[in-house]
Amino acid sequence: MPNPPQYALQAPTTTGPAWADWLQLCTGAALLLFMWAHMLLVASVLLGPATMNALAGLLEATGLVQLGGPCIGLLFLVHCVLTARRIPFRQLEQRAIWEHARLLKHRDTWLWLAQVASALVVLVLGVAHMWTVLADLPITAAKSAARVQRWPWTLLYLVLLPMVELHVAIGFYRLGVKWGFISSRRRPLGVKAEKLLLVVCLAIGLLTLLRFLTLSVE
Amino acid sequence: MARNLTFHIFRHNPADPASTPHMDTFVLNETAAMTLFIALNRIREEHDPGLQFDFCCRAGMCGACAMVINGRPGLACHTQTRDLPESITLLPLPFFKLVGDLSVDTGVWFRDMYQRVESWIHTTRAFDPSKREARMANATAEAIYELDRCIECGCCIAACGTARMREDFLGAAALNRVARFRLDPRDERKDADYFHLIGDDTGIFGCMGLLACEDVCPKHLPLQDQLAALRRRMAGTALKHRLPFFRNVRKARPAKA
Repeated sequence: MPNPPQYALQAPTTTGPAWADWLQLCTGAALLLFMWAHMLLVASVLLGPATMNALAGLLEATGLVQLGGPCIGLLFLVHCVLTARRIPFRQLEQRAIWEHARLLKHRDTWLWLAQVASALVVLVLGVAHMWTVLADLPITAAKSAARVQRWPWTLLYLVLLPMVELHVAIGFYRLGVKWGFISSRRRPLGVKAEKLLLVVCLAIGLLTLLRFLTLSVE
Repeated sequence: MARNLTFHIFRHNPADPASTPHMDTFVLNETAAMTLFIALNRIREEHDPGLQFDFCCRAGMCGACAMVINGRPGLACHTQTRDLPESITLLPLPFFKLVGDLSVDTGVWFRDMYQRVESWIHTTRAFDPSKREARMANATAEAIYELDRCIECGCCIAACGTARMREDFLGAAALNRVARFRLDPRDERKDADYFHLIGDDTGIFGCMGLLACEDVCPKHLPLQDQLAALRRRMAGTALKHRLPFFRNVRKARPAKA
């Protein structure tokens, strides 16, 4: 018996979307790792300004900051462009997803909206942070503290920190469930890990900010 | 003590130019083991014989009575009123064409989807009715059956954020179909063939992983794991496309037609 006739297919003509998804995964994972490393390096100020200065000095002496900084900036922009494919920019789409989320009351749908909102904040404030740090090398605890203690920067970091941590924690979870690192059976565990990450990273970040706010800038 | 349930039900007949979308309210006393299906029938018998809603099997097997129940897509016959608050809001499934009130046409969408993902066994072997059917391992048959349990209710599509933003998105029901045929040893298609059907933003790469499909599926199909496996497979196929041996993904397809 012959097969049924072929229908006119809306078949993909390119592997572009697949590559975009790959790149989104790779840039997302790389930024996740970077953010955790960044958090630990900056939190070294909790052990004393000298520890942070030594670590920053080491990274600069090896050229990691000078080379890595712009690379991370590029990674950040590529990730923004790739994920922007999903952001509802048109009003019709915005209304549809908002009404949908409001009606459905579904955790993961709301998490995605939080991810989009935090991404937009991080895009603006993150660029400002990266620019000011990389334009004023070397990194020292005193310079960081002076910046954090200046008024508009205090507010910037108080907003940027929770937005970054929220975005990173949701991103970790979303990456896991989308690609299967977190299976359906382990999803509750993934949710717990996501919450734990958020709380721990936020706590470390807030303690670091507090230390910078109280650190002598002399 | 029996509760008095207040139903807020969407009403609109798109075939009637005079009809405007609005909500009607009905009050019913709750009875033991009452499902929404029973409640809707009582409303139709006792309050408004014009109320439109679909049903067929009354046992969660046909998918006809899917609707949005207090914000969540679900089956009316599967939902007991005791699990709901006293105020119950019923809306038709979004995304699908409205027939009237709570009734939507999922059939046209599913028919189109089946064509798009070529939801049939592709084989070059001629069918011989005098021969015994080819055997397959029990574990394979069970794995296929697990995915074949989809009743095409449309709940996963109605709950999908991506589908709400882009109408051409295939959705979990379609991707589950592809996953089902990937398991079937009688289907001779390879991943490169499936890539043509779902390897873009209307298919697996459009899925944002919101997982509402998995959370609302009344048959509890393992959609999350299927979507993740398909994503890895299709992403791997694109990767192989760059390797000389698998240079052209697209050329692999015509042999199966």
